[in-house]
Amino acid sequence: MMKTLSVIVMQIVALVAISQAGYAVAAALQLPVPGNLVGMLFLLGLLATGLVRLTWIETSASLLTRHLAFFFIPLTVGLLGFVELFLDNGPAILAVLIVSAGIGIGVAGLSSQRLASRKGRKTE
Amino acid sequence: MMAWVTWFSIAITLGAYALSRVVARRYPSPLTTPVFFGTVLTILILAPSGVRLADYELAKPAMIFLLGPATVSLAVPLYKSRRTLLANTLPAFVGLVVGSLATLSAAVTLAKLLGLPSVIRASISIKSVTAPIAVELAPIVHGSPTLTIAFVVATGMIGAMLGPWLMNAVGIHDPLARGLALGTISHGQGTAQAVIEGELQGAAAGIAMGLAAVFTSVVAPLLVPLFG
Repeated sequence: MMKTLSVIVMQIVALVAISQAGYAVAAALQLPVPGNLVGMLFLLGLLATGLVRLTWIETSASLLTRHLAFFFIPLTVGLLGFVELFLDNGPAILAVLIVSAGIGIGVAGLSSQRLASRKGRKTE
Repeated sequence: MMAWVTWFSIAITLGAYALSRVVARRYPSPLTTPVFFGTVLTILILAPSGVRLADYELAKPAMIFLLGPATVSLAVPLYKSRRTLLANTLPAFVGLVVGSLATLSAAVTLAKLLGLPSVIRASISIKSVTAPIAVELAPIVHGSPTLTIAFVVATGMIGAMLGPWLMNAVGIHDPLARGLALGTISHGQGTAQAVIEGELQGAAAGIAMGLAAVFTSVVAPLLVPLFG
């Protein structure tokens, strides 16, 4: 129990460090992309090059991604401050969301299906 | 030293999240997803307790401290499905790039036609980006992180509910293409739906969710201002 806990804590510390490195690099190079995205690409690079093994971070990584939803509750509670905006624009917002999602799904699916069938199915 | 109201806000949010997990497992539905149900529950408890939004906001940094490392962790599923990606590089890349561009342009154009204010247009432009990245991308495109999260969650529900039906209607049957479309547009919730359809669909959706977020993060700051 104590051992598992210390492993989880150490892995989280490592993931925090990678995340902070992502923010630092994004800020230093003035990249117009989110720092946490840069951190994600760092970890992907570390895994792909074998510098970091999956087993070193996997327990905490899957713990954090499994509970990703928790982090959004504090943000969406802030919607209380936007009640009027939604009352005024509700139907228009819903229309934009539904139509743009439909167009996106259709375009992504049809274009990728066209290319996938051309070269025959290869799966792994 | 944190004020009691901060501790109270954190405790209520954690409790609401834990309860919503139990309810979601028991009664799976878009309305019981933890973000939606947990938020409603938190608001219902906070409001009568006399906690003002400004007080609650003080607890936010402590609660979202681990969001950065959680986003970094998304590299793990991406790394695990690298073989699916390498075997289908062209259809995967083309699908997620044109799908991301199509949904972004459609959203911003329609929002402008309907006369929505600019903070909504900016926030809605990135609604297909997975939430942890969208929150950080929002200020870069001059949107509001809170509005963006609402649009992201709603888009996840819409795509997961209507996506499979729409794809059947327009004849998208290829499993890679189906997963790719769901992940590109409806990120995490779309990926959960794709996993139900099958293994290849799930892997394709996970890849699309991660890479579409990368792609949109790079192009949105350039594209969104063009729509004015």
